[in-house]
Amino acid sequence: MAPPAQAHRSPSPSQPSGKGEVSDLKSQLRQLAGSRAPGIDDSKRELFKKVISYMTIGIDVSAVFGEMVMCSATSDIVLKKMCYLYVGNYAKVNPDLALLTINFLQRDCKDEDPMIRGLALRSLCSLRVANLVEYLVGPLGLGLKDNNSYVRTVAVIGVLKLYHISAPTCIDADFPPTLKHLMLNDPDPQVVANCLSALQEIWSLEASTSEEASREREALISKPVIYYLLNRIKEFSEWAQCLVLELVAKYVPLDSNEIFDIMNLLEDRLQHANGAVVLSTIKVFLHLTLSMTDVHQQVYERIKAPLLTLVSSGSPEQSYAVLSHLHILVMRAPFIFASDYKHFYCQYNEPSYVKKLKLEMLTAVANESNTYEIVTELCEYAANVDIPIARESIRAVGKIALQQYDVNAIVDRLLQFLEMEKDYVTAEALVLVKDLLRKYPQWSHDCIAVVGSISSQNVQEPKAKAALIWMLGEYSQDMQDAPYILESLTENWEEEPSAEVRLHLLTAVMKCFFKRPPETQKVLGAALAAGLADFHQDVHDRALFYHRLLQYNVSVAERVVNPPKQAVSVFADTQSSEIKDRIFDEFNSLSVVYQKVTTMSKIGFHH
Amino acid sequence: MISQFFVLSQRGDNIVFRDYRGEVQKGSAEIFFRKVKFWKDDGEEEAPPVFNVDGVNYFHVKVVGLLFVATTRVNVSPSLVLELLQRIARVIKDYLGVLNEDSLRKNFVLVYELLDEVIDFGYVQTTSTEVLKSYVFNEPIVVDAARLQPLSPAAIFMQGTKRMPGTAVTKSVVANEPGGRKREEIFVDIIEKISVTFSSSGYILTSEIDGTIQMKSYLTGNPEIRLALNDDLLIGKGGRSIYDYRSSTGSGAVVLDDCNFHESVRLDSFDVDRTLSLVPPDGEFPVMNYRMTQEFKPPFRINTLVEEAGALKAEVIIKISAEFSASITANTIVVEMPLPKYTTRVSFGLEPGAVGQRTDFKEANRRLEWGLKKIVGGSEHTLRAKLTFSQESHGNITKEVGPVNMTFTIPMYNASKLQVKYLQIAKKSSTYNPYRWVRYVTQANSYVARI
Repeated sequence: MAPPAQAHRSPSPSQPSGKGEVSDLKSQLRQLAGSRAPGIDDSKRELFKKVISYMTIGIDVSAVFGEMVMCSATSDIVLKKMCYLYVGNYAKVNPDLALLTINFLQRDCKDEDPMIRGLALRSLCSLRVANLVEYLVGPLGLGLKDNNSYVRTVAVIGVLKLYHISAPTCIDADFPPTLKHLMLNDPDPQVVANCLSALQEIWSLEASTSEEASREREALISKPVIYYLLNRIKEFSEWAQCLVLELVAKYVPLDSNEIFDIMNLLEDRLQHANGAVVLSTIKVFLHLTLSMTDVHQQVYERIKAPLLTLVSSGSPEQSYAVLSHLHILVMRAPFIFASDYKHFYCQYNEPSYVKKLKLEMLTAVANESNTYEIVTELCEYAANVDIPIARESIRAVGKIALQQYDVNAIVDRLLQFLEMEKDYVTAEALVLVKDLLRKYPQWSHDCIAVVGSISSQNVQEPKAKAALIWMLGEYSQDMQDAPYILESLTENWEEEPSAEVRLHLLTAVMKCFFKRPPETQKVLGAALAAGLADFHQDVHDRALFYHRLLQYNVSVAERVVNPPKQAVSVFADTQSSEIKDRIFDEFNSLSVVYQKVTTMSKIGFHH
Repeated sequence: MISQFFVLSQRGDNIVFRDYRGEVQKGSAEIFFRKVKFWKDDGEEEAPPVFNVDGVNYFHVKVVGLLFVATTRVNVSPSLVLELLQRIARVIKDYLGVLNEDSLRKNFVLVYELLDEVIDFGYVQTTSTEVLKSYVFNEPIVVDAARLQPLSPAAIFMQGTKRMPGTAVTKSVVANEPGGRKREEIFVDIIEKISVTFSSSGYILTSEIDGTIQMKSYLTGNPEIRLALNDDLLIGKGGRSIYDYRSSTGSGAVVLDDCNFHESVRLDSFDVDRTLSLVPPDGEFPVMNYRMTQEFKPPFRINTLVEEAGALKAEVIIKISAEFSASITANTIVVEMPLPKYTTRVSFGLEPGAVGQRTDFKEANRRLEWGLKKIVGGSEHTLRAKLTFSQESHGNITKEVGPVNMTFTIPMYNASKLQVKYLQIAKKSSTYNPYRWVRYVTQANSYVARI
C-alpha cells in the first residue's frame, strides 16, 4: 500500500498532515464499534473510507488498528473488504496487532458464504507475519478442498504466500503434492493455472537444495503434463494461456509429428487480440522448429502478418512491446522482411523510442531491390524537425551504404546532405563520408569536391570536425586548400576544446607535409610545437612521437603516417551475433526490450 | 508476475497504490515519477514504456493523462504486463463509466476491490468485467460525464452526431440509470485510423488503415449476437507480401491484410458467410482488429506551395480539398507545418467569409497551425501565410519547411468500406427489441504531405 516514507513529505494543502486526523478517526471508530444502531454500517463505511484514503496518500494510520478490528464484526461485505485491505497493509509492521485479527479471519474462513471464505483466507495469508504461520495451515488445507472454485483459487495462491513466509511450514504440510494433484485434476481452469504458477515458483526455489524438487520441476515439462494443459488451452483465461504457452516453449518433443500436432493445435492463437498470447505462441513455434530450417522459415512468414497487426492496433505502449520483438526477428532474418520495408517507415506522431527501432529495421532489411526507396524515405527524415531522429536517419543511410555493394545513388544523397547547410546534418554526413571513403576509396574524387567546399568554421561537433580534418590530411593532394585550412586550424589550437580533434589535426598536418612539403613545412612546425605544449597527455605524446620520428628518419616517418592503405571491408558490429542469439532464447521477455541477455546485464533478474 | 501496481496523477500523486508481493521498495512510485519526469534531460524525447532502475523494472501506460504503472524484479513478458495495465484501465472504466482522476479518487475503494480480484500475489486472476461483477460489491459513484473530456474512442461520436444518447458511452456497466431501469442496448463502433503519406507531387507513397470493431453491450441475460460483415471480404493469407493483393482491387472487394479477434468470438461460419458470432461479455472490448494496405481514396487532398517572395520573405499556400460526399462533415481538423527556424513573423490570410477557423504561429517550435471546426464533403479551403525571416535562407527553402501534417475526425465515414451488414440478437421474446447502434468513424493517425 502507500509507502510510509511519503508521510514525511511536506503535505500539499489538500492533504492533511495526519496526526490530528488520526486521533479524530480513532475516537469516532470507538464510538461506532459497540453500536448496534440502525444505519450504523453506512457510518462505518464512510469512516473506513477515510482511513483507507489516508493510507493511500501515505499517512500512517496504523494507530487505529485495534479500533478497525473491533468494528469489523459485521456482516456487511463492503466493510469487511475494507477492513481486510487495511489489516493486510499494516499487519507486517504490527505483528502483535495482527494476532488480534486471526480470530475473526479464522471464523470468516468457515463462513457459509464462499465469497467471505475466500476473502478471509486471502487476507489471512497476506498478513506476512512469520510467527502466525501456524494459524494458516488448517484454513489452507480446508480451502484447497473447498467445493467452491473461488475459494480454491485463493487457497492455491495462499499456499504460495505461506511458502514465502515460511518455506518449511509449507513443505512440511505437504502442500506442493496437493497442488500437483489439483493441477492435474481440478475442473476449474483458474485453479489449475494458479497451481502451475505456485509450483513453478516453489520448485524453482527448492531445486537448489532438493533433488526431488528439481525432478518435480522437470516433470512439469514432461509430455503428460504438457499435453494435459494443451488439451485444455481454450478453457484458460488469456493470461493463463500465456502461462501455459511459456511452459510449452520449454518442452522438447520427440519427433516432428509431435511438433506439427502442437503447432496445428495452437495455430488459431496467432489470431488472438491479446499481444501477449500471440507472442507466447510465436515463442513456442520458434523454439519447436529451431532445428528444422525450412519450417522455421515458414514460421517467420506465418507470424509476420499477426505481428504487424498487433503493432498497428492497441496503444503506443503495447505496440512498442510487439515492435521490439519484431525488431529482433528482423535483425535475425532480414531477408524475410525485405518486402515489408514500408511497414517500418516512421509515422509523423510516433514516439522517438518507436522511430529508433524502425530506423534500425529499415537499415537491416535494405537490399538490392529496396535500397533506393528506403534511402529516399530516410532522406526525408533527415530534413525532419525532430533532430535526434534526423541524425539517426543520416546514420542509417550511412550504414546502408556500408552494407551495400552498389552505393552509387547513396553517395549522391550523402553529398546532398552536406549541401543542406543544417549544422547537425553536415556534422553527421561528414562522419559518414569519412567511413565511406575508408571502404570505397574509389569515391574519393566526388566526395572531396563537395567536402572541400565546406567551411571548417561551420563544423563544431568534435566527431564531425575530426572527420573533416582526417579527410584534409588523407586527400591533401586533391584538395587545393588543404594546407591552408590546416594552417588556420592550427592557429586556433588553443581554442580547440576537443583532444580528439587536436590529435587528428596533428596527424593530418603530418600527412599533408609528406604530400605537399613546401606549403606545409611552416604549419608542421607550429603544430608540433603546439602539440608538445599541450596539456592533454595523448596529444603531447603523439606530438613528441612525430617529432622524434622526423628527427630519426624522414622516410620511415612517411611510411608510418602514409602507409599504402587497403580499403576496410567490414566494420566491427556493435553487437555480436552470439548475443543476438541469446536474446532470441529469451523471446517474449524483458531481455528483448532492453536488448540485453540476463547473464550479461547488471540488471540482476532472478527467475 | 508483477510486484506492485499503482496509478499516478500528472503531478505524481498516488491515486491508488497496491503492493502485491512486498519485494520492491516502498518509494518506487517516487523513483518512477522522477525518472519519467526527467527523462528529457537525458536527451530522449519521452520515457519508453519499460525501463529498469536499480534492478526494478517499471512498466507504464498513459491513459487519459494518468500513469498506470506496474513494477517487478522478474524478467517477465513486457507485452503481458503492458496489456494487463491497459486492461485494468478498461475494467475500471467499465465500472466507473468515466475514467479520469476525479472519478478514480471518488471511487478508490471500489478500485481497490477490483484490484484485489484482478491480481493475487502478482498473478492475474481475471480481467473480465463479467466475472468480476460477482466479486465486487461497492457501487460506483458516478461523476458527471458532461463536463469532462471524452475518453474512449466511442466518445468521439458525441461531437459530431446528435443521434446518439449522450450518456451511452459513459455509462457504467453496474450502476443503474437515474430512472432505475437499465436500458437494453448495444453499441458496435467501427473505428478506423488512417495513415497516408503523400509525396511532394501529391502521389500516395504509403497508406494504411488500422481498424477496430469495438463493442459495448448493456444487454441483460447475455444473448448471442451475430455480426455479418461484407460477404466479399477477403483476408490475406499470412506471410505473403501485402502488395500481391493489389490486383484484386478492381473487383471492389474489401481486402484486409490481416485481422485478429477477441476471445469470445466464434468463427465457425466466418469462412462461409463472413459472420462473427459471440456472446458479448459486459463492458467495452474490441471484437476484431484489422489492418489494410489496399489502396483507398484518401478523404483529403493537400496542396502546398512554398515560394520565396523577396529577400527575407516567403509565402506558403495550403489548400485542403475534401473528397468525400457532401452529406458527410469532418470535424476538429488541424493542419500544421514546421517553418524555418529563423522565421520571426507570420501573417495569415483566410478566404473571405471563413467561419470556425483559427490560425496560429507557435513560436516555441516554429510551427504554423490552422484549425478548422468542420469541413463539409466536397468543399475546399485555402490558407495563405506570409513568412518573415530574420536571415536569408540559403538555397532551397522547401528543404527547410514541412511536411504538412493533418489530424481530423470524420463521423459516419469509413475509408475501408468494411461494413457491418447486420447485427442480429438472439431473441428472448417477441417483445424483446433492444436498441442497436452501429456507428462508423474515421480518424487521422498520420496524415502527412511532403513538400
